[in-house]
Amino acid sequence: MALSRALAFDGVAFSYGNVAALSDVSFEVAAGERVALLGRNGAGKSTIVRLVTGLVHPDAGSVWIGDWDTADLAPEDLARRVGSVFQHADQQLFARTLREDVGFGPRALGFPAREVRRRTDEALDALDLHAHAEQHPYDLSPALRKVGALAGALALEPSLLVLDEPTAGLDRAWRARVADALREHAERGAALLVVTHDLAFAAETLERGIVLDRGRLACDEPLERLLTSAERLKPLGLVPPPIAALSVALDLPGRPVRERDAAHTLARVAGGRSAS
Amino acid sequence: MSALHPFSLLAIAAALPAFAWILPAPGGGLATATLALVLALVPDVRAGARVVRVAVLTAAPFWLFLLLLHDLPTTVAMGLRITTMVASFAWLVAALPPDRLVEAMVARGWSLTLAYLFAATLSAVPVLKARARRIVEAQRCRGLSPRGSVANRLRALRALALPLVLSALHEVDERALALETRGMGSGVHRTPLAAPPDRPLERAARWALLLLCLAAVIWRLA
Amino acid sequence: MRTLGLDDVTFWYPATANPALENITLDVGPGDIVALVGRGGAGASTLLLVAAGLAPRVTGGRLAGTVSRGARAGIVLPTPWTQLSGMAFTVWDEVAFGPANLGWPGHAITRHVDHALERLEIVPLASRDPATLSGGELQRVIIAGILAMDPDLVLLDEPTAELDPEGARAVWRLVRSLAGEGKAVLLATSDVDALPDVADRIVWLEQGSVRAMGEPSLLAEDALCEAGLGTTVADLWRAAALPAPYPLTVVDAVQRWR
Repeated sequence: MALSRALAFDGVAFSYGNVAALSDVSFEVAAGERVALLGRNGAGKSTIVRLVTGLVHPDAGSVWIGDWDTADLAPEDLARRVGSVFQHADQQLFARTLREDVGFGPRALGFPAREVRRRTDEALDALDLHAHAEQHPYDLSPALRKVGALAGALALEPSLLVLDEPTAGLDRAWRARVADALREHAERGAALLVVTHDLAFAAETLERGIVLDRGRLACDEPLERLLTSAERLKPLGLVPPPIAALSVALDLPGRPVRERDAAHTLARVAGGRSAS
Repeated sequence: MSALHPFSLLAIAAALPAFAWILPAPGGGLATATLALVLALVPDVRAGARVVRVAVLTAAPFWLFLLLLHDLPTTVAMGLRITTMVASFAWLVAALPPDRLVEAMVARGWSLTLAYLFAATLSAVPVLKARARRIVEAQRCRGLSPRGSVANRLRALRALALPLVLSALHEVDERALALETRGMGSGVHRTPLAAPPDRPLERAARWALLLLCLAAVIWRLA
Repeated sequence: MRTLGLDDVTFWYPATANPALENITLDVGPGDIVALVGRGGAGASTLLLVAAGLAPRVTGGRLAGTVSRGARAGIVLPTPWTQLSGMAFTVWDEVAFGPANLGWPGHAITRHVDHALERLEIVPLASRDPATLSGGELQRVIIAGILAMDPDLVLLDEPTAELDPEGARAVWRLVRSLAGEGKAVLLATSDVDALPDVADRIVWLEQGSVRAMGEPSLLAEDALCEAGLGTTVADLWRAAALPAPYPLTVVDAVQRWR
């Protein structure tokens, strides 16, 4: 049981000066689980990212990465298990080419050159970035810089991937590419914790939703159930994404929230209606 | 202290290093360096202690190099002068909010662009520090340790330098666009939002400071 | 009458052979909301810079064709944190930075700044230090800073990227009310699902050229869905192999279904 736990928050409180950011937050994320961290601007989501990466430590309670207590660990120690992408990718790119940048993490952790190369290639592959590998990060579009930063986190081969708004500014094709890469990574046993306002992306990619409201855990349940309940979402500052809203409005059986499931159901129901 | 007119603060920050170089060493330098450090501590000892620490840490390497290159009396003389310069600038950065300087300069008829350049120099240090902190955080999250042996620290410093400079340069383009769209360079005279009051007494004190400097120069040359 | 007119505009960034925009002809009049959609790098941001008069004047590069602007333009760029003046220690002063630069009298500045803060619902932030704001708060402050300059042509590049769903909805409502006051709005967004309720006209850009232009119903056409630019509902209808024309929004779909 302890082995399959990727992340645990246990009664965590944190404040910036005397402004409380989180109070009494507890949850666990299992290996391979895909979790969306939702809530308004300022609800405490970014603080959770900073706690998980070890950039800050809890005032009370503890944060566990697997069987490591983050209290005694620095971000560079946690980097062996945690890969992270922050909101502003521009300050997360450090090298002269994208390839070199993606290899930054494995190199810093002291892996041999062959292993660095393998990880870099796999991360570039996962996100279809080989065409841009030799470009300077600042010559890439902001969207590609963001995807590049994600590749850098994947190259750490983390058991927990923490992402802050990974799809902001990405067009639909890139969003789909990112979603695929994340699902593949989770299938290999990594847990995902994704802060996002993009509920459509969350519905397609993730399975469980944790909602924060003014620093407290307001809700923790499967996304299918959460996203199809407009009256529950509203007080939390959330709005059902189009497919979930449509599922409810058309009363589709099973209330699908993913596009592929909804298309199937829609086609089936429409077929049934024209036959009768 | 921050109630003083921005020009008065500038005048003090300029006069201290001037006296440090004009007055005979080491007494002159000792007096000005002490004065600059005390100034930093005056309004708020806690905040002032930070300013003093920054000034001392910045001046320390200069002392080391001087000692390697010169004899002790020269080291002390030059070191105190450099310390005065560093401490005056550190104090100015802490005491003078850039926006007040801009308002004061604009109220006095300076062009906004020039005032902005001045103020941007003052705010460059905290802005770069914040940026460096974000880059170091991101690098640590990717496994780079800034702690431990000297070699480790040097490696981390080298890894910081390139992205720090590049990201700052990259942002310059965007900032230029942003400032332009917000009416910089519109050619119109800016409306001062809250022009700091300039009391006649302060004005007189600034002139006196300048005359004192000149007198000191004449005294030293004579 | 038009607030912005682009006539056969082609634009090259410095030291590039291929134009970033090619043969663009576009009119935006008072009260119009025109939305640019396209894949990343299709030229929407560049088009906004040209419309603002910043390209080539500030960016450098070369422009062919004519750009006519009947009024003052204000542009909200996609990265709010680079748009802070760095010269203000309160949000109020930050928002007043633009109006002050225009040399307006003090009472006019106060009136416009207060109004802009109210519109963006950030009055409680007025005395905060801008450097301590979150991304979402910052985005609102920057939009307020542009609106306080009372532009007749409002240009918005991904104005909701940093905002939570509530905040994004508020911005889209604001865009409608700006148009209601007769301002011309040209915007770029990847939030295609918001557009049917916001935009009067859609411009589809592809590799720097206008591929198609028309009413929001364009967002339910096969070609746009193919390019990943259709609304989610249209896309879904198409994926379910239901007959065209596809519905644009959930409301359309419900009507169609009955």
